[in-house]
Amino acid sequence: MNWLNTKYILRAGVLSILLPFPDLISATCKTDTVIDTYKANSLRFIIKSDSIIAFHTDDSVFTVIKADSILPATPKEVKRTRYDNRVHRFRRNWERIIPTHSKIQYAGNMGLLSFGTGWDYGKRNQWETDLLLGFIPKYSSKKAKVTMTLKQNYMPWSINIGKGFSTEPLTCGLYINTVFGDQFWVNEPDRYPKGYYGFSSKVRFHIFMGQRLTYDIDPQRRFLAKSVTFFYEISTCDLYLISAFQNSYLRPRDYLSLSFGLKFQWL
Amino acid sequence: MRKSLYTLLSFLLLSGCGMTDYNPYDVHISGETNVNAHNIEKIEANCKGKTKLRFVTMGDSQRWYDETEEFVKEINKRDDIDFVIHGGDMSDFGVTKEFLWQRDIMNGLKVPYVVLIGNHDCLGTGEETYKAVFGPTNFSFIAGNVKFVCLNTNALEYDYSEPVPNFTFMEQEIKDRRDKFEKTVISMHARPYTDVFNDNVAKVFHRYVTEYPGIQFCTAAHTHHHRDDVIFDDGIHYITSDCMDCRSYLVFTITPEKYEYELVKY
Repeated sequence: MNWLNTKYILRAGVLSILLPFPDLISATCKTDTVIDTYKANSLRFIIKSDSIIAFHTDDSVFTVIKADSILPATPKEVKRTRYDNRVHRFRRNWERIIPTHSKIQYAGNMGLLSFGTGWDYGKRNQWETDLLLGFIPKYSSKKAKVTMTLKQNYMPWSINIGKGFSTEPLTCGLYINTVFGDQFWVNEPDRYPKGYYGFSSKVRFHIFMGQRLTYDIDPQRRFLAKSVTFFYEISTCDLYLISAFQNSYLRPRDYLSLSFGLKFQWL
Repeated sequence: MRKSLYTLLSFLLLSGCGMTDYNPYDVHISGETNVNAHNIEKIEANCKGKTKLRFVTMGDSQRWYDETEEFVKEINKRDDIDFVIHGGDMSDFGVTKEFLWQRDIMNGLKVPYVVLIGNHDCLGTGEETYKAVFGPTNFSFIAGNVKFVCLNTNALEYDYSEPVPNFTFMEQEIKDRRDKFEKTVISMHARPYTDVFNDNVAKVFHRYVTEYPGIQFCTAAHTHHHRDDVIFDDGIHYITSDCMDCRSYLVFTITPEKYEYELVKY
């Protein structure tokens, strides 16, 4: 019978394979797949996961080439000028200083509210550096004040607790805070005998310990951030520590400060 | 899990009350303000009509919280003291909380007290905190028949931004309520010829001091050690109290005939 002849069987086989054609078209081409012998008019290639299917247009004969049988094409030597290299380095270096997150923090001796941005880095992003601007209302003084804080955080562990939540059971670090205003000085003004007070009213050194709770936002619902972190910290500064030292009158709640904050992870 | 989270959050909020600090120099005052005015009212009421007065001078209590607390306990054991004059330097760094801590300790006194401004109290926002918590930096009150004129003498801190000492105030005080007092005591933090006093006007200052009716003596603090100086050869004593680290205070007694004082260690 005619339909028994081998050519017919082969054609039927080809057809049944080509039926899910749209599927094959939509297959993604991995970036390391290089097609060197492509000719626009005759040969067509379909790339799907680990195979390349090659066939001629208007012909039902096709070849499936397994990925491991494809010889890696030697990349063509692209001649980069020194200028290109420089631009490449320039972009790469500037990209590094794109901040990865923003923060808002309440209290903590850096202002009523502080806002800022920062960078996380390290193998597990366990390091974090922030630059914050704080605002102190005037309260009983003549003027409201602005402060600036450089903060270094270290989070040794991060634990996934499921349902999109993870926690950093320990955060610790230090920050330097400076308050703007003529009444504060780094070095004593000249009118004082040298070393009369021996401290700076403008620059404060703080240490802190705290904990964090992070919620990963569903990728479909992300808008500004991919995760939000709530944190709290207990901190103290150099002047409070010196005061607490040798005085039993001062209790921990006198010289320790509590602060809260939110971190929005952008990148 | 959720329950423990709520417990943690409420614990944080509860313990957070009074533990959230905005800045060491924020001048965010909680508790009593205008302390001197309140206490002056009490002193004037308590001492009305008295001709024999007994009061204590001390000062320089900065960062000596335990010692100051003990001082308060010592004074509370006695019942012969009319009031206490703190000669200034409650704070070491001008930090807002220092004033509040010291105020709270001194509020433990059974007798009223007044606080002068010291040079350390002027650092950073210290002067603003002092003014909010205690009141004006120059003030006076009358106990019995004695007027106490309390002066800001920390000229170095003001760098000519304000007249220190304020001679207009001193002149005014010679005349003010003149019929209510017969004797005068001048109190200051730093006496003439100490580093923060404007020595150029030391003699002028003293001339104003001598113009006060029935001038008895001057009290001071600042140098941290008890001294009794007659600076200008006219018999007017400038009597300096120890700092709180020395665990001592001076008790002055003014009687119709004379005055005397005693250094008390505790």
